[in-house]
Amino acid sequence: MTTGPTTAADSGGIDRRTLLKTVGGSALAVALAGCTELLEDGEDSLADADVPDEPIESGLQTFTEGAPSVLGVQAQYGAETAVRRINENGGIAGREMNLDVVEEGGAYLTNYQQFVDEGKDVTFGPISSSGHAEMVPEIEAQEVINVSTDGTVTTLYEEDFPDVTYSFRFQNHDVMEALAAVMQAVEVLGADSIDTYAGINPNYAFGQDEMDLFSRGIEALTGAEEVYSGFPDLGTGDMSTHITEVNGEAPDVVFSSCWGGDATLLLEQGHANGMFDAVDLLVGPVLYGSANDLSEDLVDGPIYSGSRNFYWGEPSTDQWSPAADLVSEVEDEYGVVPTAHFMSGYGAVTAWATAAEKAVSLLGRWPEQEELATVLENHGFFTPAGYHTIGADHQGYSNAHFGELTWSDDHDAAALSDVNVFAAKNVSPPPGETSADWIGSW
Amino acid sequence: MSRFLVERDGQTRVRLSEGMELTKSQSVLAVLGLVVLFAVPDITRLTSLSFQAIHRGILFGLAAVGLNLLLRHTELVSFGHAAFFGVGAYGAAVLASHFDVSSGLLLLVGSVLASTAIAVLIGYFVAGYLDIYFALLTLAFNQVLYAFVLQSGYFNYSDGLSVRPDGLNPPTLFGLQWTSSGYDLILYYFTVVVLVVSLLAMWKLVNSPFGRALDAIGQDRTRARFVGIPVEKYVWIAFAISGVYGGLAGGLFALLQLHVSPEPTLYAFVSGEILFMAILGGFGTLVGPVIGGVVLVYLLIQAPFYVEYYNALTGLVLIAVVLFLPEGILGSIPKIGTGLARRRSDPGLLREDVATVGSSLRRGVSRAVTTVRIIVFGVN
Repeated sequence: MTTGPTTAADSGGIDRRTLLKTVGGSALAVALAGCTELLEDGEDSLADADVPDEPIESGLQTFTEGAPSVLGVQAQYGAETAVRRINENGGIAGREMNLDVVEEGGAYLTNYQQFVDEGKDVTFGPISSSGHAEMVPEIEAQEVINVSTDGTVTTLYEEDFPDVTYSFRFQNHDVMEALAAVMQAVEVLGADSIDTYAGINPNYAFGQDEMDLFSRGIEALTGAEEVYSGFPDLGTGDMSTHITEVNGEAPDVVFSSCWGGDATLLLEQGHANGMFDAVDLLVGPVLYGSANDLSEDLVDGPIYSGSRNFYWGEPSTDQWSPAADLVSEVEDEYGVVPTAHFMSGYGAVTAWATAAEKAVSLLGRWPEQEELATVLENHGFFTPAGYHTIGADHQGYSNAHFGELTWSDDHDAAALSDVNVFAAKNVSPPPGETSADWIGSW
Repeated sequence: MSRFLVERDGQTRVRLSEGMELTKSQSVLAVLGLVVLFAVPDITRLTSLSFQAIHRGILFGLAAVGLNLLLRHTELVSFGHAAFFGVGAYGAAVLASHFDVSSGLLLLVGSVLASTAIAVLIGYFVAGYLDIYFALLTLAFNQVLYAFVLQSGYFNYSDGLSVRPDGLNPPTLFGLQWTSSGYDLILYYFTVVVLVVSLLAMWKLVNSPFGRALDAIGQDRTRARFVGIPVEKYVWIAFAISGVYGGLAGGLFALLQLHVSPEPTLYAFVSGEILFMAILGGFGTLVGPVIGGVVLVYLLIQAPFYVEYYNALTGLVLIAVVLFLPEGILGSIPKIGTGLARRRSDPGLLREDVATVGSSLRRGVSRAVTTVRIIVFGVN
């Protein structure tokens, strides 16, 4: 498997010029990559730019309450951490950044409109797929950039809104984690050993999109046959009927994009009903999103989870100090281990902040929304998760992570072992091609 | 006296049509209200008030006006009016998403037809019930519709449907494709016209013999039946009319939001909010529910930005309204006005107010002390 382009941890041989060049040319980019300590004092190339004094106002909408807050609060921590680091390192081209956070539940459009009314320079979020789809046309109408933290349905930018200007998404889209799940299953069991598969996915756009992509991928790679596909309601209180159906069919692989409380429930009821004896493998792209809510007995069994574009232990924190520093900072500040949704918030802010600084250095002044949107297209930047790009399609592309669910006594939380890192080009279609067509061509 | 001015009970009244008369102060308030309504886009441009939130509030208020026909006149509490609001919204969304209908007015016609059909159907089943049974039945029908839409691929589950016929642009209004801000503005003025016409129609209705019959039904069904009023039939018709208002508001809401999903339109909580709007604004008045709609929606939208426990805020407001403004915002204005006028002419009344508040507080503290003593010692 490929790994991210920056696995070297020993920075002793990197001088300031090389470091700046590597991470995108500014002290801010270095700070957000988590490499501040590598940078000695130096002159600021943005000092002469014509930039307003007042702070940048930004807004994040995320799930701060209820079951989805398992993901939403992590995104909030991530965004807050990025903003804190920005301000501790002199701001964006000298401008400090303020972040307002609001609950997104059922109020995606009104939240975005309110942020725009308040004169926000940029908005981030939401977590919800349907909320993101609802917002895109409004973002295009209001012309204030939004970098979505999540809302990862693949068809959003591939089919529904292929030509947008102000709407971006940082986190990997569904095809990347569904295909990472396919490849992980093939690696663990072998293509010849996978004859049947089943799915238990939440009953809404995200769950349906994930199951569709997984089905296409696993059938193309192994020729396996689907024996069961169930869609429990999001936030359901019982999955036992679906688990009984799966046990009855005893497929080789079960795929589940359940997340938050649903993921915990699936593992609890799966264990209670002997699902992990009946099947050879469970692959779930976002099971690890509930890392801080799982108990040690729940992670036992042939269970592999994805961790989207960030897993804090890959590369190992022994070798990769930016991730080690981040984990330590997040545990001290918030008392949790950061999950991929932490990076959803951190990366969305970082994408915009580094692009804004790049735009200032290009223009010599603060950019207009349209100019900043142009810079964000094909923009590359680092975070402690490695290197990321925002494509011309406005979709973020990063490595996808998948590993065996295990337990970390050190962190008193679920962890992943034997983590595979899938390069974006191996799990997402080339530019201009849709995921369905691309998988169909395998 | 001219055609528009009549003398009644020693007062000069403005006569709009047969049976529709306003006192001088009511006329001034009505004109002022109209001016404010039409000036909202300018007011929000010059202040930090949210145009979208006010527009949305007016639409929910329109649905509450419909609900108020049942609440005020037949004295039936509906906990299921989001059904009509939601069906109206989905009526427009289905036409735009599945049938590519691009005319906003046609979408609105679809909304009204769909909600009327549902209201006639539900009304048929609930018209014969009273009190808690009526409330629970309306709630049950609401939840059945919500669950049906949530489980249906045709309605795109919880994700809902877009009201953008071409996927990106809003529908046309009056045959023209507007820019985003132009669309919002035209739709707002159209909403104001619809609101005014709807209020006038409701006024005419409640002051008609049919409206009086509804009042009689609300006071005593048995007596109404004995005087020859076909009670169930009239309640059924009132329920259907009430649903039309909900559907009209829902259709306009779909045109405003351009995306319809089950939770903000069909969920039972929305029914509770519509009911609350009528109570908050003053269910004993015609325009009160609109005021209640604007105030509550504005509160619900803005509160999360300023208050951490914003969910509790709605409850606190409801408690405050019930305790201090039992007749709602608009319903309490005459009483507050009279009270202030009396205190202006007799300042001694203020001393009595202070004494009343003081004795209430003393009574409250004394009760609390007694309760604590009983809890701690078992006896008083």
